[in-house]
Amino acid sequence: MKLPYRWLQELVAVPDGVDAVAAKLGLRGFEVASVEQGAEPVIDFDITANRPDCLSVLGLAREASAAYALPLRQPDRSMPAAGPAPSLEVSLEEADLCPRYCAHAFEVLALGGSPEWMRVRLEAAGVRSINAVVDVTNYVMLEMGQPTHAFDLARLRSGALVIRRARSGERMRTLDGIERALEPDMLVIADGERAQAVGGVMGGAESEIGAGTRVMVLESACFKPASVRRTSKRLGLKTEASTRFERGADINAAPAAIARAAALFDQIGAARPLGGLIDRYPKPQPPIRLRLRGDRIARVLGVSVADGDVPAILGPLGFEVRTTPDAVHSAATERSEAPAFRAPSITARTPDAPRPSPFALPTWDVTVPTFRVDVLREIDLIEEIARHDGYVGLPATFPRLTAPQPPPDPRTLRDRTIKQVLIASGLSEAMTFAFVERAAALPFARETDPAALANPLSEKYAVLRPSLLPGLIDAAAYNRRRERRDVRLFETGARFTRDGENRAVAAVWSGAAAIPHWSGGARGVDFYDVKGVVETLCRTLAVEIAFEPASRPYFVDGRAAEVIVRRKADAAGAARGARPVDSGVSRKIAGEVGQITASALEARGFPANEDVFAFELDVDAIAALQPSGDVRAESLPRFPSVVRDLSILVDAVLPAASVRGTIRSSAPPTLVHIVEFDRYRGKGVPEDRVSLSLRMTFRSPERTLTDAEVDDGMERIVAALASAHNAVRR
Amino acid sequence: MDISSLKQQFTAELAAAASEAELRALRDKYLARKGGLVSALLKHVASAPADVRPALGRQANELKQHIDAQVGERLAEASARRPAADAVDVTLPGRDPLIGHRHPLTLLRDRIESFFLRQGFLIVEGPELEDDYHNFEALNMPAEHPARDMQDTLYLASPVTSATGTPATLLRTHTSGMQVRYMERYPPPVRLIAPGRVYRRDNLDLTHTPMFTQVEGLVVGDDVTLADLKGTLVAFAHDLFGPDRGTRFRPSFFPYTEPSAELDITCASCGGSGCAMCKQTGWVEVLGSGMVHPAVFEAVGYDPERYTGFAFGVGIERLALLKWGVEDIRLFYENDLRFLEQFPL
Ligand SMILES: [Zn+2]
Repeated sequence: MKLPYRWLQELVAVPDGVDAVAAKLGLRGFEVASVEQGAEPVIDFDITANRPDCLSVLGLAREASAAYALPLRQPDRSMPAAGPAPSLEVSLEEADLCPRYCAHAFEVLALGGSPEWMRVRLEAAGVRSINAVVDVTNYVMLEMGQPTHAFDLARLRSGALVIRRARSGERMRTLDGIERALEPDMLVIADGERAQAVGGVMGGAESEIGAGTRVMVLESACFKPASVRRTSKRLGLKTEASTRFERGADINAAPAAIARAAALFDQIGAARPLGGLIDRYPKPQPPIRLRLRGDRIARVLGVSVADGDVPAILGPLGFEVRTTPDAVHSAATERSEAPAFRAPSITARTPDAPRPSPFALPTWDVTVPTFRVDVLREIDLIEEIARHDGYVGLPATFPRLTAPQPPPDPRTLRDRTIKQVLIASGLSEAMTFAFVERAAALPFARETDPAALANPLSEKYAVLRPSLLPGLIDAAAYNRRRERRDVRLFETGARFTRDGENRAVAAVWSGAAAIPHWSGGARGVDFYDVKGVVETLCRTLAVEIAFEPASRPYFVDGRAAEVIVRRKADAAGAARGARPVDSGVSRKIAGEVGQITASALEARGFPANEDVFAFELDVDAIAALQPSGDVRAESLPRFPSVVRDLSILVDAVLPAASVRGTIRSSAPPTLVHIVEFDRYRGKGVPEDRVSLSLRMTFRSPERTLTDAEVDDGMERIVAALASAHNAVRR
Repeated sequence: MDISSLKQQFTAELAAAASEAELRALRDKYLARKGGLVSALLKHVASAPADVRPALGRQANELKQHIDAQVGERLAEASARRPAADAVDVTLPGRDPLIGHRHPLTLLRDRIESFFLRQGFLIVEGPELEDDYHNFEALNMPAEHPARDMQDTLYLASPVTSATGTPATLLRTHTSGMQVRYMERYPPPVRLIAPGRVYRRDNLDLTHTPMFTQVEGLVVGDDVTLADLKGTLVAFAHDLFGPDRGTRFRPSFFPYTEPSAELDITCASCGGSGCAMCKQTGWVEVLGSGMVHPAVFEAVGYDPERYTGFAFGVGIERLALLKWGVEDIRLFYENDLRFLEQFPL
């Protein structure tokens, strides 16, 4: 809302310059978008949706009059002498959508330009001058916030105005020249036959006033906000009128705006009234009366307001304030009538002072002016009290803590742990949008038709991501295009299917396995780097995992695995690594790890000949398998362990997990740990075989093991490996 | 050669000796058991007349000790200067361990959470897919409410199953839905923050992204006031921007709070004197807040006569722009490692 400073001054004699006025109103809840200096200074306010009354010079002037404790001068609304009434029939058929409809006929005397003072003001407020009649209607709208519309009476069939719903299939050309299809829930102002205006939105071209207009009908109505908003949205037509009506208009502004227009027409000699005011107002609305309790003000704001301050604050804003007869006054708050416009003061409650007593404070009976459509209950009055000094007088206190808090959400803690592990593993955290291009999503979606947005910003953000990987691959490609070869990124967050959302964590890794160093040893990332991160993460989250070969459209064949997660059967036993968990324990496929295919990389602009490895895990699935309760500390081994290395030749395609399984099932219970420490193919090893070296640790919790019994155990292991896998000891 | 001239000759030769090898050769030249000049002198002393022999012997021994000490000292110095054969070049770069970076938004979120945890707040998390009731209606924004324009919404093409029971129809425009769910489930007192990703149909520009991160707060009790809100938010601003930052608490409007307030801090680029960054006002807006509207309490079944409460909401990206001078909000979602790595771990 552009407020021309001189126009404001005409209504309130503000003593400050334009900047100071802007700052003062800014602190009362009217955010200043900009201040234009110059010959016609203008303050542009961002008016919040609750204050349609301040989409007007008068509304802002009222605020200024309250802020400066200066009187508000009301513009002239005296009705000039009227000529004889023409034939005009107004029937209001839809009082639900239009609670009040006023109209008045005017004889057009001169449709030329309006006087310079008016043109200057309109232009300062951002409105183009058209002709004397249109300028007056715009002037009234800017000044009072009440839109009006002028019809050419001669073009209204049967000299009638009918306020009704549009008929099915009805069409109308609006003032902007566009032919519009109307729908039956839209309100129109029609003549005897056809719609001549869309109520509260825009007038029609057919009955527009022009050079030939002799008699016009000025409409000034109050339309129902929700109806105007729906119609304006449906027609894609947002006007000065619809903006005001959809926020709520003053029911009493309808006749007042006609009187103001009449006075202005008279002042500039543009038109003279004919007949009397036609006012269709079937259900007059009494003004809202509210009870305002002094103790409630103190309870909400945390400060006591002196009794006399309530009328002093609310009065200038147009509220009628009466102290109710049953109000209880304490001796301390009893005082003589506050002088008008005395600057109110708010008293801070000191933190250790008792909260204000509810019995010492009075109650007021407040009548809400009809232009304040936002004030509906007591709390709205309390806001008026609070904002009068821009909250400057409000003390800064703290809410009391009166109860212990429930335990934190485990998801918050888990996410934090996951981030810590991955950052410590060398991955940096990325954040990507939750919506992606359909083509980018499809390969990763389990369903053929992933959850999509109805109104996406663009095709680039059309569907909800079914996986975090497309976003991460795009982020890696973005970095790769900017000379960054070594990209290690992860993200935690929601992914979506038509069955809802799910928390996941995913990562991509390209380039080097470690930070390059002058000492050499450079190596590109491989499957086991990424697998190691997954293992570390799952170990931290205290779940058992296993990997099985898998096939995915976006992973290179033979270089992808499913991550199978199981609950730890026995935390203590699992920590010793002694026994695999029972197969009966619940297990879930909780994710995957693999190398992204060249075609998937190329599709997202990453060089196809480079290796990118990735993983993604379902955090919710893992969470469901995490142990509850505390870790049990285990006593440390009291007897020494015996370590034995074993090198065997086995088939190159035999999974290491099978070898480990055979060893575990044939070994004595004293075997506590197995780890592969070498895998070799090449010279000295037959073509289809591989040399696998394992290190085994034996230990008893009760005694020191003898070489003989460990040897015996090793022999049984070797025999089992030979029979199960045709393994040959090297 | 007499003893004093021998000593002079040694002194000169010692000064000239540069390397450890030369020093050792010098010691041998004078002190070697066979052929050393001082050894020869001592032999000569044995054959000297008896009356001068004791004095001569003492002087020769003193010279021997002098030479031994002097050469020893120089050798020690030289050896201290000499690098060990397996010495490292301490100036070469070390081997960096692999370590990643927290995203700056996480860094700031952790910081914000830590502030509110210190004030006794609980952190709650909720779904990103919401239904209209929890996102709007329960928050005093019925259908056709003009304030819905303040939050242009991204809707789902078709409803999606949600963990909460009711089918989700939109991407949440704020985390307030979580507060509504919490109040539906638990009686007062409430003291929580709800951080998370939120979505609005905003085109990407310097200050907008269609997804951003929000932290909302809610405190409800018998006795919670607007002054409490002011105190909490001013403390928060000082925690984040330093105790010297000017703060301003000013009336505003949100449908779900009444009275509503915005918190401003003094503009960092001009220090409060006014510049383009702050539209010449000297102030920049930090967050929106207010006293919970009684209609919200009614929607969740709290007695608005008995309880009062405050709520606030802040965009972490906006705080990051203000705190770190980031000029383009899109940088947070481009994931350029050169940007991400600028922030502390
Ligand atoms: Zn500035």
